[in-house]
Amino acid sequence: MSKGKITLKILIFLIASDLLETFTQFCFKKSAVPQNELFIQNPADAMLFITNILGSGFLWIGLASVILTFVIWSTILSKIDLSVAVPIASFSYILVPLVSIIFLGEKMSLLDWAGISFIIAGVIFVASSTEKETAAA
Amino acid sequence: MNVIFIILLIVTTSFLDTLNQLLLKSSINILNLKVSNLRNILSMILRLALFPRVWLGFCFCTLSLFIWLFVLSKADLNFAFSADSVHYIFIALSSRLILKEKVGFRRWAGTALIIIGISLITWSNR
Repeated sequence: MSKGKITLKILIFLIASDLLETFTQFCFKKSAVPQNELFIQNPADAMLFITNILGSGFLWIGLASVILTFVIWSTILSKIDLSVAVPIASFSYILVPLVSIIFLGEKMSLLDWAGISFIIAGVIFVASSTEKETAAA
Repeated sequence: MNVIFIILLIVTTSFLDTLNQLLLKSSINILNLKVSNLRNILSMILRLALFPRVWLGFCFCTLSLFIWLFVLSKADLNFAFSADSVHYIFIALSSRLILKEKVGFRRWAGTALIIIGISLITWSNR
């Protein structure tokens, strides 16, 4: 059940979904950072964590971005196969670390990049297995 | 913060997300609709909202979000986001065992590569 080819519109949507996914994670991280000192030991701490984080504007921007990503992703999947879309979407496994380094001042070692390479290869394997196996089933 | 504890929390969010996916997918399988445009998608979402199990999935999803935010308050984003790919393993296992989907060699090989990748970043952030 092969669907249509990747048009320019779909390609732009795919890039947008990668960027949005990365933006979502960036916003979530920003909303969580101020709670760094809070350690949850009892239900009251957990409630405090939740109320603090719900008060962060970043969380709500992140959630809005999740909804937008969902709509864009659904549109992508209505036009092309999941097995084509997922490897392109796995680009966020590179984008998120890059944003972490540039905008959040995180450090990454060579071993981290090696690990991420394995993960991306794995995601591409998993995604490319879809079509053949469904056809065989 | 202990990296093993953080990994356990990330595994928990992935597990909850997988439960949510299973509840969603099984509901979508029951509906058995052809979806081709945004309008179909919106009408499918409205019909899915009538399934109690979809709401249960939504609760799991919310819980998972709060655990994820707690993880991000303690761990680096690049580490947490990469480690979250553990959900590919849960999805492969549960698709095979619960939804009885066929999971072939390529998919298990991909899953193994993801496990190696997560092990490497965990080792490097220990």
